[in-house]
Amino acid sequence: MRTQKEALVLLLAGGVGSRLNILVQSRAKPAVPFAGMYRIIDFSLSNVMNSGLTKVGVLTQYKPMSLMRHLGTGEAWDFTGRSRGVKILPPHTGFKDSDWYKGTADAVRQNIDFLEKNPSDEVVLLSGDHIYHMNFHAMLEYHRFKKADVTIGMMVVPISEISQFGSGIIDKENRIIDWEEKPKNPKTNLASMGIYVFDYKYLLDSLYKDRDEVDFGMHILPRAIDNDNVFAYPFYGYWRDVGTIQSYWEANMDVVRQGSVISPEAWGIVTNVEAEGRSADRAPARYGNNAQVSASMISAGCIIRGTVVNSVLAPGVVVEEGAVVRDSILFDDCVVGKNSQVDLTIFDKQVQVSSNAKVGVGSRHDFPNIKNPTHLYTGISLIGKEALVPSGVSIGRNCIVNSHSKEDAYPSNNVADGETI
Amino acid sequence: MLKSSTLAMILAGSRVNELDVLTYYRPKSAIPFGGFARVIDFSLSNLLHSGIEQVAILSQYRSYSLINHIGTGAAWDMIGRHRGVSILPPVKGHEAHEEQLDWYRGTADAVYKNLDFVQYHQPEDILVLSGDHIYKMNYQSIIDYHHQKDADLTIAFLKVERDKSAGRFGVADIDGEDGELGGRVTNYWEKPEKPEADWASLTVLVFKPEVLYEALEKNQQCDSYEFGRDIIPQLLADGKKVYGYKYRGYWGYTRTIEEYWQSSMDLLGDNPLIDMEAWGLRTNLEHRGIRDVQPALIRDGASIHNSLVYNGCVVEGTVRNSILFPGVHVAKGAVVENSVLFFNNKIGENCRFNKVITDVNSTFGMGVHVGVVTGSTDDKITVVGWNNQVPDGVEIGAGATIYPHLKQDRWPENKKVANGEVLK
Repeated sequence: MRTQKEALVLLLAGGVGSRLNILVQSRAKPAVPFAGMYRIIDFSLSNVMNSGLTKVGVLTQYKPMSLMRHLGTGEAWDFTGRSRGVKILPPHTGFKDSDWYKGTADAVRQNIDFLEKNPSDEVVLLSGDHIYHMNFHAMLEYHRFKKADVTIGMMVVPISEISQFGSGIIDKENRIIDWEEKPKNPKTNLASMGIYVFDYKYLLDSLYKDRDEVDFGMHILPRAIDNDNVFAYPFYGYWRDVGTIQSYWEANMDVVRQGSVISPEAWGIVTNVEAEGRSADRAPARYGNNAQVSASMISAGCIIRGTVVNSVLAPGVVVEEGAVVRDSILFDDCVVGKNSQVDLTIFDKQVQVSSNAKVGVGSRHDFPNIKNPTHLYTGISLIGKEALVPSGVSIGRNCIVNSHSKEDAYPSNNVADGETI
Repeated sequence: MLKSSTLAMILAGSRVNELDVLTYYRPKSAIPFGGFARVIDFSLSNLLHSGIEQVAILSQYRSYSLINHIGTGAAWDMIGRHRGVSILPPVKGHEAHEEQLDWYRGTADAVYKNLDFVQYHQPEDILVLSGDHIYKMNYQSIIDYHHQKDADLTIAFLKVERDKSAGRFGVADIDGEDGELGGRVTNYWEKPEKPEADWASLTVLVFKPEVLYEALEKNQQCDSYEFGRDIIPQLLADGKKVYGYKYRGYWGYTRTIEEYWQSSMDLLGDNPLIDMEAWGLRTNLEHRGIRDVQPALIRDGASIHNSLVYNGCVVEGTVRNSILFPGVHVAKGAVVENSVLFFNNKIGENCRFNKVITDVNSTFGMGVHVGVVTGSTDDKITVVGWNNQVPDGVEIGAGATIYPHLKQDRWPENKKVANGEVLK
């Protein structure tokens, strides 16, 4: 037990992440499974734990049940004990009957009592939906050394992607002298990672100052940069915002790629295996006599009798004899029946593919989903939770099969490219 | 929550010479089994599924691994207001009770020395188990039979081949009182040279508490203190109601290296004799931190057939008919077959393993050959003790035994360990 005041952590985990489409139908983005046995938020929580920080508030809003079950007591990340703790901070009624969070700063402002009850020198403000490995202790040291009011974790990204981020222009001392939120015509390739260290008093003062400032990136940071001491903390490691289906798929593939830089275990990323009976109590993966597996991640409880190439399988997935799974991500307890083929597809939990079905067929990778052309346009298809793909059915590229779809949901045996069931 | 009326006592203290280096640092019940678990997990999971959550484990040999493994007992739901698991090591008694200054002199003595613990729980039934067997059993069935017969002692038996193996167990004659279910035990022999019956004891015993207390007290006058050798014959001689409950199902024995290996092979195949998932086997995932290892990485060029591979493994080579515990790495060009590799073994490039059991944490250099050579008639199992660094190019023959944590200068200069050789 420490007596020294340590930084307080606020984790923003309320994001809808709507571009992840049916993967966020029943859960918030931070609760989306990743790399077989993890969830996206495990990366932020484990980074917090491995940085020696032990007081955490998690701000939730959108479909928090899955996330709350996953956090449990926080024991998995060592957040239990006399002076440690993780607290879920859901929206609550305030001055008006219903005060849904209007933005990131508004969310923190509505929980200002949590801040006031946990005085500290700094507040570390994180997003719960990134895949990365970072030591916040080093960032806090940097913040103190710079005597900053605000320090922002920043990294260089391809100039074509900068329009998705807040971006900053820095001077020789790494002081941020100009800021653009999601610029159309960027002046820099230095992007904000959504990781901030605030001086505790400075944050409280900022939040009290103007209740109309509801967003950090849009309001609070630009004003701080104009008037106060805001520094960039340069980051050079692996960091991905897995906010799109394509980037989510790529980050999963980064885990199985030979010589990959991303390794949850080596990074010390841990998860709550006991939540919802995930990988807890699963026997070792069983490989049959005709199994063929390469360049893949296979979790405990899987049974592999067919072929798996370049794919990520969560606990309990069954791949039957003659079935082929390629370039795909399968969540917990999916079954791929005999002689079925799965290519470039993401399955939510408990999808059942009967025998002789084909999922992800054809070469029209660039024919986008008709209903959601901005979500699916690179060839990846999505199959929703507990959906059934009946025997003999063939599903094309950029298709969506909604969760719980059963046999009668399919108008014919052919689901054309870009269709939604 | 109702208070459990059955107290289970697990006999988990022993090491056996036949298992040699695998029990160098741990009792037999704590030996890894099934690619992620320990032998004792089968008994503990049976208790969990039978709703028996008051458990004591009697252990005196190198208990550290076992204590670590049991943890709080939460893995088997043995934690709560009326639930719990206690490890009972031998204790030094008050000088006024000189007889209590001893180590456990046998299984019955171990329970006798903990009678205060037993009586504190005021059990209605006392279930005595061995922690060394691989099986699935609902203990409520034998307890129900025990009640139905108003027996003093009820013992679970399994039919075995009389000539081949009965002599290695306690065997009994059971009369036809309840047909397929069981009957009165009319005769009992402990490890007879010439077995006259084929019902072998599973060391699953249900006692009426007062009968057990009295028998243990009486047994203290003798000079042997075992349930099988002493207590059961004594109760029969005293004319107590001793019943046999006939168990039908898989029963895996792990008393020798051959048996351990065979039981492990029973985990494999399309319809394995031991189906851990279906049996609901539970283990403590906090032990050795296996809950924190990532899913296995199967690299390009790997080939895995008829095998079990747990999370935390990295496979680049070939694995056939084998069981890989968490943290095992099989490098490129290596071939592992018919083997059981415990936690964190690193198998170097182009190694050959055939019929090998390796304890935890060994590193094998490049091109190390261990075990049976294909086509050879010598097919004995090779055992490697823990924490060894095997230099590049070493050849270890079939049936050889490598002691744990060898100093580097113990490895022979010609890099050959002969068939059956023991390297200390």
